[in-house]
Amino acid sequence: MKLTALLMIAVGAASLSAGAVRLLNVSYDPTRELYQNINAAFVKQWKAKTGVDVVISQSHGGSGSQARSVIDGLQADVVTLALAYDIDAIAEKAGLLPKNWQSRLPDNSSPFTSTIVFLVRKGNPKRIKDWNDLVRPGISVITPNPKTSGGARWNYLAAWGYALRQSNNDESKAKDFVARLYKNVPVLDSGARGATTTFVQRGIGDVLIAWENEAFLAINELGKDKLELIVPSVSILAEPPVAVLDKIAARHGTAAVAKAYLEFLYSPEGQEIAARNYYRPRSKEIAAKYDSQFPHLTLFTVDEVFGGWQKAQKKHFDEGGTFDQIYQPGR
Amino acid sequence: MSRQRNIFIGLALIIGMPSIPALAQSTDQKIQDLEQKVEQLDQEVKVAERNKELKDEDAANQAKNAASVTADTSGFTIKSNDGDFLLKIGADLQVDNRAYVGDGAAAGADTILLRRVRPTFSGTVYKFVDFFFRPDFGQGTTVIYDAYLELKYFSKAKVRVGKFKPPVGLERLQSDDDTSFVERGLPTLLVPSRDIGYQISGDVVPKLVNYAVGVFNGVPDNGLGDVAVSSHRDYAARLFLTPFSGAAKNPLRGLGFGSGISGGGVDGIALPSYKTFGQTTFFTFASGVTSAGHRTRLTPQGYYYLGPFGLLSEYTLTEEGFKKGLVQKDIAFRAWQVEATWILTGENKSFTSPTPKRSFDPRNHGWGAVELAARVGDFSAEKGIYNYGFASSNTTPRHAHEVVGGVNWYLNRLFRISVDYGNTNFGGGAVLSNRLSERVLIGRFQVNFI
Repeated sequence: MKLTALLMIAVGAASLSAGAVRLLNVSYDPTRELYQNINAAFVKQWKAKTGVDVVISQSHGGSGSQARSVIDGLQADVVTLALAYDIDAIAEKAGLLPKNWQSRLPDNSSPFTSTIVFLVRKGNPKRIKDWNDLVRPGISVITPNPKTSGGARWNYLAAWGYALRQSNNDESKAKDFVARLYKNVPVLDSGARGATTTFVQRGIGDVLIAWENEAFLAINELGKDKLELIVPSVSILAEPPVAVLDKIAARHGTAAVAKAYLEFLYSPEGQEIAARNYYRPRSKEIAAKYDSQFPHLTLFTVDEVFGGWQKAQKKHFDEGGTFDQIYQPGR
Repeated sequence: MSRQRNIFIGLALIIGMPSIPALAQSTDQKIQDLEQKVEQLDQEVKVAERNKELKDEDAANQAKNAASVTADTSGFTIKSNDGDFLLKIGADLQVDNRAYVGDGAAAGADTILLRRVRPTFSGTVYKFVDFFFRPDFGQGTTVIYDAYLELKYFSKAKVRVGKFKPPVGLERLQSDDDTSFVERGLPTLLVPSRDIGYQISGDVVPKLVNYAVGVFNGVPDNGLGDVAVSSHRDYAARLFLTPFSGAAKNPLRGLGFGSGISGGGVDGIALPSYKTFGQTTFFTFASGVTSAGHRTRLTPQGYYYLGPFGLLSEYTLTEEGFKKGLVQKDIAFRAWQVEATWILTGENKSFTSPTPKRSFDPRNHGWGAVELAARVGDFSAEKGIYNYGFASSNTTPRHAHEVVGGVNWYLNRLFRISVDYGNTNFGGGAVLSNRLSERVLIGRFQVNFI
């Protein structure tokens, strides 16, 4: 009898695992906690709706590095990266999704937004209040490498946008400003999570330029008695996009569940989870509910200031671009 | 004296009193400066440590993803870290010295020649696709011998497309650096060398039962081609069993046997011509003869290896249609051979070349491996070849019988020196007599790595 029961359990387990649909979400660095929560909720919802088990794996790293891995063959069913340019690169170089991918989901396929803020030591000993404080001599700034990290590119463009506003759109002054800022950067991590580790756990630097959600998480984890969030006068509206990689999903037979997974991000439950993880929800209702959580500041977009990601990438981050001109490693 | 000292101390105190707060302030400042310096140094140390960590991580990542370059007994290789991408650069170079003994009609000119000069590029892309490209520049020619891709996703059904050896003759399928003699035996004259086509192959039972089936353009016997001369195709298949290969102690573990077959139309295909061990042409067709109709081949074959001993044998029956004027007939050609080898230095013999226990290095008592080899073989065309006027008995023998003996000295896994002596007797091929026997001594220096 016991043997029969064991056999039934074994057969049941085997059929469960055999019947489960598997998804791989290749994402950027600081979204680990967000997608752990999203995945748990979606798996439950999908099981209730279809009766099918879905197992979602996560992969995290610098957004640019992750895009490169997908182009090189990483079998992602969906990508949830830090910026649209990285998914554009996948569409262009690997042809895994159409070039108009961004129009397939609402809000340019960005189900939530974020921005760039500062994290300083408790008490703000260096009295850092805005971007111009980051270029003061003797200030040590932690930000990751824009060549590999999507977050770092948002940081860079936020600083550049601030400098343009301060200098009445004088590009040379903006370049000088950002060059001075990067002179104060002693360590370039490859991703946002690595930079947070450098600042928070290794105790390096006076200020971390960080995703807003990453800054909140760091404060929650380490304690408000150790870190302080500084909101600059102006920053950039970061719109991390998501997309199904059609060709891989079709090959895996996961197109429907992958699409539903991304649509779930726009659902009230998905938006609520995003807000709880300090991403700014697109839903007005959820945004209103969490309004007090997010600081109010002036935000500009990449399109407004840089003419879109393609132009920004080419001018600032491609080989020989502005970043290469202003940053000298191993100074 | 004591009074003077007291006055001095008193004066000193009076003078020093106003500077006490300044002294304290100065000390605080110094402590603050020192703290700042310590903090600064601490930051510098942490930054240096973190940068080193990042550098190490970067180096580890690069090493993880870096391709490896190796040069060893299997040749020169560039391989991606995950093994999914591979490029091997190889070469097959054979320098022969042919000396014909006697000066009969069959004797060729003594010569030193580059028998094979074949650079080889092979490897893998995306884990499941192998490629192989091998031209030959030997004997003053430039010919693409092999150029194919093989999709090996399913090990039981590997798909090969391109130019390669059709699955028919046993010794033909053996790589030329693995054959026990400098030239292959008579049965190989009757099977295709290289052809362009598609093939599916694999192990039905891993390492025990192997099959291959393919469709090809069709080439003359022992020939190769790059284009089809008609819309007829040649179909080939081979089944080969090594039923005891998994049994390590079974004396039959080195036994392999099977058969190849092929069939197809030959209309318009160039006529074959057959060569002796000494590579002189002994069989040619009469003028006005063309290939016509069908050709079928059957090639039962097998080998047996046990320790240093090796035995290989195959039989080839080819029945092929020819036409001259209004006469069209099928002619049967038959050939067989048996070869035996013994490695004197004790290495194990197999279908591939032995690896010497000690490579050639006399200072360190290494002499390589030495092998003795003997072969007997026979070739015959049915008598109708004369009766139907397809060949002249005055110039073309329809029978050849060869005996070959040789020594192979494997200096190491890649380099080999061979000396073979071959005697071929003929039936027919001269006016009222037989073509003079061919006796040839062939020496070869060979380096081969893929």
